[in-house]
Amino acid sequence: MTSPALRLTHVSRRFNGQGGLTDFSLDVSSGETVAVLGPSGSGKTTLLRLVAGLERPDRGEIWLDGRKVAEPGRNIVPANQRRIGFVFQDLALWPHLTVRRNLEFVADSAGLAKADRATRIIEMLQLCRLEPALVDRYPHQLSGGEQQRAALARALVGSPRLLLLDEPFSSLDPDLRVTLRQELASLRRQLQLTAIYVTHDAGDVEALADRTIAIRKTGSKG
Amino acid sequence: MWGLRSSRTVVLLAAAAAFVIVCVLPLVDMLAAIVRPSTGAAALRTALLDSRQLSLLSTTMIVGLGTATLATLIGAPLGFVLARITLPYKAALRIALAAPAVLPPYVVALALIAAAGDVAFTAGGAIVVLTVVFYPLTMLATEAGVRRVDPRLEDAGLLVATPACVLRRITWPLVLPTVTSAALVIFVLAISEFSVPGLLRVRVFTTEVFTAFAALYDFGLATVLSLPLLIVSVGVAACAAIVLGDRLVTARRSVGGAPGDAFDAWRPAAAVAAGVVIVAMLIVPVTVLVGEAARSTSISALIWNSRRAVVNSLALAMVGATAATLLAACLGYARARATATAGSALDALWVVLFAVPSTVVGIGLIGIWNRTGVFGVLYGTPAMLVLAYLARLVPVCALAIGATIRTVPESHEEAAATAGAGWMRTMTQIVLPQVRSGLLAAWVVAFILAFGEVGTSILVAPPGESTLPIRVYTLIANAPPGDAAALAVVQTVVILCPLALLGIASTHRRPA
Repeated sequence: MTSPALRLTHVSRRFNGQGGLTDFSLDVSSGETVAVLGPSGSGKTTLLRLVAGLERPDRGEIWLDGRKVAEPGRNIVPANQRRIGFVFQDLALWPHLTVRRNLEFVADSAGLAKADRATRIIEMLQLCRLEPALVDRYPHQLSGGEQQRAALARALVGSPRLLLLDEPFSSLDPDLRVTLRQELASLRRQLQLTAIYVTHDAGDVEALADRTIAIRKTGSKG
Repeated sequence: MWGLRSSRTVVLLAAAAAFVIVCVLPLVDMLAAIVRPSTGAAALRTALLDSRQLSLLSTTMIVGLGTATLATLIGAPLGFVLARITLPYKAALRIALAAPAVLPPYVVALALIAAAGDVAFTAGGAIVVLTVVFYPLTMLATEAGVRRVDPRLEDAGLLVATPACVLRRITWPLVLPTVTSAALVIFVLAISEFSVPGLLRVRVFTTEVFTAFAALYDFGLATVLSLPLLIVSVGVAACAAIVLGDRLVTARRSVGGAPGDAFDAWRPAAAVAAGVVIVAMLIVPVTVLVGEAARSTSISALIWNSRRAVVNSLALAMVGATAATLLAACLGYARARATATAGSALDALWVVLFAVPSTVVGIGLIGIWNRTGVFGVLYGTPAMLVLAYLARLVPVCALAIGATIRTVPESHEEAAATAGAGWMRTMTQIVLPQVRSGLLAAWVVAFILAFGEVGTSILVAPPGESTLPIRVYTLIANAPPGDAAALAVVQTVVILCPLALLGIASTHRRPA
């Protein structure tokens, strides 16, 4: 039997004894997109940060492609070696770098040969439907939708084995949100992405998710 | 919201008038004196023909650049450590690391002379002393700058790169403008410093200004010698203000949630570095000073004979700090509620005024107040010392209080106004209570700076009226080293006490 792309077993992460995630378990198969729903403070973002290696679990284990990457109090594989793409809620585009250099930083760190980098970046930008003319602009010179596309392109340019999306469309107007949601759905099919998508929006779930889980504030899965 | 006929107009206009008279007018009058044929023209000719000008300029620049570089090399990494690395007792650590900033520079110079002997009497010695007192500025500015960097930006980098790479390529470029501005400010403060080069016999522009006025009684020459210093100080301070714009001073501590622990692998090295700096920059100078003071054979008599200077200093520093805080609160409010452009311009003006060297301020004050008529009433009285403190401290207090008041949303005032409250009541019951810790901090900083002020005080102090810094400075030249050290220890204790109280208060208010 093949191991799941991602496995969390009884993972807990609390902050000063409150908030966070409690005794959470989840398996995600390769190519599957799981939507995570839950109220504010239920630990959705903590879940993504644990998977990415940006937090350490207090209890439980995290496995990626059959390899244990975290155990209680310790990240065995650090964040930068997990090959994970992350679209943050506030996008976290580096403001001092142009779109091209934002992507280059990731491509470079992912070990992409210098000769292939430019092609790969253009490929990603096309895939995410970002105008080539915008590639040398800084994030603050882009519209909200363009910033979303740039953030998605940056998350994908390193060929991640798992894509994490933390309510990436939450700040967009409804029309743009529908457009980007459709584009992401098509991208997901095209690239056979394994992804976890945190959202509050039922429309996102319907368009993007193979499976939905809900986290209650206690942290248990519903 | 508030009409032109509200009490706000009266208070802000009065504050603006006081600010212009106390801080701006002396400078304007001094600049006018340079172009006045009776005082400036001949002196300008003398100064321009003096071949020592080049040597003065190069030594001044060496001291400024050396201090800015060394202070940045020490302060910037420590600022990053305080912002991003988990360390035990961080609040206490921050206070210990920042404490050298409140030591009067000439007190540290005294410790260096006691420890290093003749080696101290060089430009290098001046750089070391000024680095000890100025590196905390870079450290605190860098810490604030790093805290303003959204931790999510670093998280996004940590997904694909090592912490060292993220520090180099993400954090550092984002915080670079802040560090650069801090370095520029330190450069200005270093070239504006009078007491350290004076004590270490390093000839720079500030010491020449003092000599021209106090030894040669040549007001015109002193004024002309102030000019290059003023141009460099004001130019560099203006650059710093332009580079940082609205971020020049901010009361906002952090953005984007709590930082992770990715940099905690460097904790042991960070703890060692912080420990070494505290020992080298605080414990060693204070210990050397105490050791030197112990050699004095007449400590009790010395302190008894200096009681008037101590009482004078305490009283004048308290009056000066209180007046500076009150005036700065009005100015800070005006800045907080000004348009973005006007606000940035005011910030830049205050930075520039704060950068004016102390001896230059002294010369400007004498020019304005040493005359017949209304302006002459205060000259020759202790009020001149309070005016000196105001001229030096109001700009920096206004800068800090303005940043704090900006954190109070304007809607709070609007809510009070719609409830029927007048401006004065809104200020005293809504706005100022929300920034009382900022006001207290400004008062403490003003008190510490006033209590240690010597460059302006020594020029404007009335005959027979002395403050503790003036007495220490005089004793350094005329008494056994132990005597000066003993008084310097007294001065250090008085200065460190309010800082410790402030530290304890802030530790109880929020966790590290």
